[in-house]
Order: sequence, then C-alpha cells, then structure tokens
Amino acid sequence: MIAISHAARTSTAFGAFAAFVTIEIRRALRNRRYVMFSVAFPTGFYLLYTGVLASGASADSAIDGTTWGAYFMVSMATYAAMVAALSGAIVIARERSSGWTRQLRVTPLPAAGYVAGKLVVAYVVTLPAIAAVVIAGIAVDHVSLSAVALVQMFLSIAIGVLPFAALGLLIGYLFDADSAQGAMMVSLFGLAILGGLWAPISSFPDTLATIGRMLPSFRLADLGRDAIAGRGPDLADILVLAAYATAIGALAAWRYRASEQRASG
Amino acid sequence: MTLPTTLSDRPPRSHAPDGAATPAHEAIAVRFEAVTRRFGAVTALDAIDLSIATGETVALLGPNGAGKSTAIGLLLGLLEPTSGTVRTLGLTPAAAVASGRIGSMLQGAGLPANARVGELVDFARRLYPHPLARATIIERAGLGALTGRSVETLSGGEAQRVRFAIAIAGDPDLVFLDEPTVAMDVETRRAFWADMRRSAGEGRTILFATHYLEEADQVADRVVVLDRGRIVADGSSRSIRARVRGRTVRFDSVEPDPARLATLPGVSAVDIRGATISLATTDADATVAALVTLRVPIRDLEVTGADLEDAFVALTSASDEPKESSR
Repeated sequence: MIAISHAARTSTAFGAFAAFVTIEIRRALRNRRYVMFSVAFPTGFYLLYTGVLASGASADSAIDGTTWGAYFMVSMATYAAMVAALSGAIVIARERSSGWTRQLRVTPLPAAGYVAGKLVVAYVVTLPAIAAVVIAGIAVDHVSLSAVALVQMFLSIAIGVLPFAALGLLIGYLFDADSAQGAMMVSLFGLAILGGLWAPISSFPDTLATIGRMLPSFRLADLGRDAIAGRGPDLADILVLAAYATAIGALAAWRYRASEQRASG
Repeated sequence: MTLPTTLSDRPPRSHAPDGAATPAHEAIAVRFEAVTRRFGAVTALDAIDLSIATGETVALLGPNGAGKSTAIGLLLGLLEPTSGTVRTLGLTPAAAVASGRIGSMLQGAGLPANARVGELVDFARRLYPHPLARATIIERAGLGALTGRSVETLSGGEAQRVRFAIAIAGDPDLVFLDEPTVAMDVETRRAFWADMRRSAGEGRTILFATHYLEEADQVADRVVVLDRGRIVADGSSRSIRARVRGRTVRFDSVEPDPARLATLPGVSAVDIRGATISLATTDADATVAALVTLRVPIRDLEVTGADLEDAFVALTSASDEPKESSR
C-alpha cells in the first residue's frame, strides 16, 4: 500500500514537473527580452565586429591560431549562452515578488521542481542563442570548421554554461524584482568584458589578464576555442567551471531555502 | 479482495456522516490543535483550536491582521506553526498539498508573464492526478472568451477568474479561498458563489476568508470570527447574529463622545463613522432613554435588529485591549 501510494505520488510529481518545464520553455522563448538580448543582440554584435567595425582586420585575419571570424564567433556564442542562462534571474525575481511561486507551492509541483525546472529552461534557451551566432558565422562570414569541431564547440558551450544558469538562480533569489535586472547586467558585463569576450584577453594588461583567466566566462570561451583549434577540451577549464557551478549552486540553494522560509510571511 | 486505498484515489464525496466509504481519518477535513504562530513579537494566531468537518462550508471573518491569511498559510504548509499541530485532510499540510486534493486561491497571487490563459489552464490540469475536463474548468470560471489572451492583458477581475480556474483544475476535495472575490464585478461574484455552493453541495469542503460579511452570511454553513489571533465566535451565521441579542441604536450627532456613550445602559459597543454613531445595545429602550438625558443634539434616530455586521463589530471590538495593539 505504501509502495503504491508512493508510486502514485511520484508519478504525479513527475507529471507536474513535465508540465512545468513545458510551459516554462514556451514562456521563455516568447519573452521579448530573451529574443532581443540573447538571440538578436549577440548575433548582431558578431556581424558588426567581424564585418563593418573590423577596421583593417577582417573575418579572415589570423588570431590565436585561427581566424578572427571563428575566434569571435566563439566569443559571441559564449556571450549569448551567458545572457540566455542568466535571463532566468529576472523572471524568478518577478515571480517571487508577484506571488506566483507561492501559488505554485500550493500545487503538487514539488518545491525543488520549480528550481530544477528553471535550470532545465536555462539550458534549453541557451541552444537557440548559441545556434544563431554559429549560423551567422558560417553563413555570413564563411567560417569553415569541421563538423567534429563544430559539434564539440556547440556542446562545450551548451554544457559548460551551468555556472551561469546557477548564477541566474542565485540572482533571482538574492534580489527583488526591481534590482534583479541591474544585478544581472552588472554580472553579465563584468564577466563578459573581464573574461575577454569583447576584446581578446591577450590584449589585456598582465594583472587584468590574470584575473580574467580565473573567470568562468573566459574558461567557457576557452573550451569553445579548444574545439575550433582542433584540440580536446582543456581539463583545467572543465574543473574551473565545475568549481564555479558547485560554489554558486550552493549559494543559490542557501538563498532558495532562506526565501522559502520567508516567502510565507 | 479489495484494492488498498491510496493517497491519490478519489474518496467518495458524501454528506452522510456514517458513509461507510469515507475513511475515518477524513471525517475531519481541517484541524488546528493549540496552534500558535508568531512573527517576531507579533502573535498572529494564539492557541487556536478548530475542526472543520468534511463537507462544511466555513467563512473565516475578521478585521485585517486578525490571522485569517496566517491560518490558511498554515493549512497549506506555506507556514509552520510556532507550536501546536495542523492537519489537512488528516495529513501534514505538505503531504495534503502533494496529494493534489487541495485547491486554493491565495490573496494577491500573481500570474506568470508571457503565458496565455488557455495554456495556464492546461498547465494547472497537468499538475493534478485527477483534473476536471478542460471545458468544464473554462465554463465554470467563465474563461470562454479569454483562452487566447495573454495574462498581461487581463483586468483584475479576469485575472481573479484565472486564479479560480487554477484552484478548481484538480477537482479538489478541499478548497481554500483567501479573499476570492476581490476585484470581481457583481455579476462575476454572484456566479462565483453559485459555483461554490454547487461544489459544496457535492460534498466538498470549502474554507474562505472574506471581508464581505454578506458573503459569509449567504454562503457559509458556519462562520468563524477571528480577532487578534483568537477565535471570538464560531457558529452558524444565524447563531452569531443571535449572540448579539440586542439592537443597534443609530443616530447622527455633531459632538460624538464615545467614552460617555459607552457608559450608557445596555451599550456593548460604540461605532462612529463620520457623524453617524451606532451603539450596539442589549437594552435599546434603556439606551435610548439615557441617550436623551445626555442633552446631545441627535438626529435620525433609528433602532434596528442586529445583522451580521453588527455582530461582527460587537465581537471584534468588545475585547479589553485597544484595537491598535497589534500594530
């Protein structure tokens, strides 16, 4: 009897989770802010930087053993993945302020299901954002990569984005609806610029470059560059990203539990 | 051989107290045992004991800060009691919520952006093990014309109907409604309560908190009046009205002196709204006779029987402490 009721409840919880992920993905992809900041802007920047604004240099000029077009494609694909993964922060903060999370808590959707669902969504919405930049690279700038390199690059960025998805959760639980956007923007631009996504880190002064190399944004792009250079993934990059994901994830879990206790007041 | 009853099996709904099919532990839908809940220095609920039987429709009345929302939060597991025990459908609130047999409308619960109304209904249905048919939900909540609409474009009353749809989507046995008709227009409000009465008639248990006394009067089998975290009255609307045996003496006056009015014979409560003074009294004749001797200019004197509102005012202002103490 216990086994049956347990199984029944588990299947309800799973059905609820699947329903939640479905509606969340639809909502996220429909979000105009997402389409603009995660898909349109990074692709637009990519085309600007490798085309119109590439003074003297062109998409074909050499950098770091590859072409500027391929190099910056990885940078902007990484940037797009970061924006997409972080964009959950604003939605979570809003839903906490509006009381929607409270309403969900009085349904059979498990409390942890909300967090897990948001994480799944962060992963899913990252894919079109990366794809848009890659397609622009191949179609417009004629970046030529082997299929293996392309797949490795895509997967490296798509999977390695975990610390940023965790950071999105953390910001969503740390800030209210009004300040979450600011916090997300500061994190995003700080990590993107210092991590060498806008200007190559090799052009930084030494100290700044040292700091930059410690950031997850640099490491994520580095995984992508390994791929286009035909190297296997760098173990150090993977370890650094995993460490960030663990640390940020633990902080997010802590804030989540604190807010669960307070949200009820 | 009979199959074991599981948490997700639907219990038959019956008003019959001896209905053999109703498991014994579910004769009581809601139970508070010596429940206290504090928020810092504020005691929101103070050693409450309350049982609600399966099939009852109960109104929770009380002024702001009386503890209504706290009580509902405890029943849904959104809050933990500081001390005492809360049981919902015989289970811990968290387990009862997980079983999918509870539906609720929370006060001011937001709806998510970038979602369509029909999508939210589908989503809500999939959260529960035994949902109502989609068409039934849409018809009962009056959402027929709204399914394609984006949530952001809804008026307050329309959004409230969507919340209602979410509350009933799982075909719940027990329904909690916290100020459900806020922002609804008169017609929607009437349709809403007609639907709730029908649900109650099918044996569901309904607990609602409201500010509108006429809703409690018309809909509830039983009215529980909370004031500053305590139950000050519990009974049928009629019995609560009867508790205020006397009458209301109402008049307009230019110089209200509540202290003096409160000392008049028979007076149990004084309520002043603008120039209109209402005295709840157990002896209207003596009160009026004494009032005249005060030599205060009075106009439009009337004496009426107590309605639920008078009873409510008398019950929640008769306590010894001043009303502001909870702030």
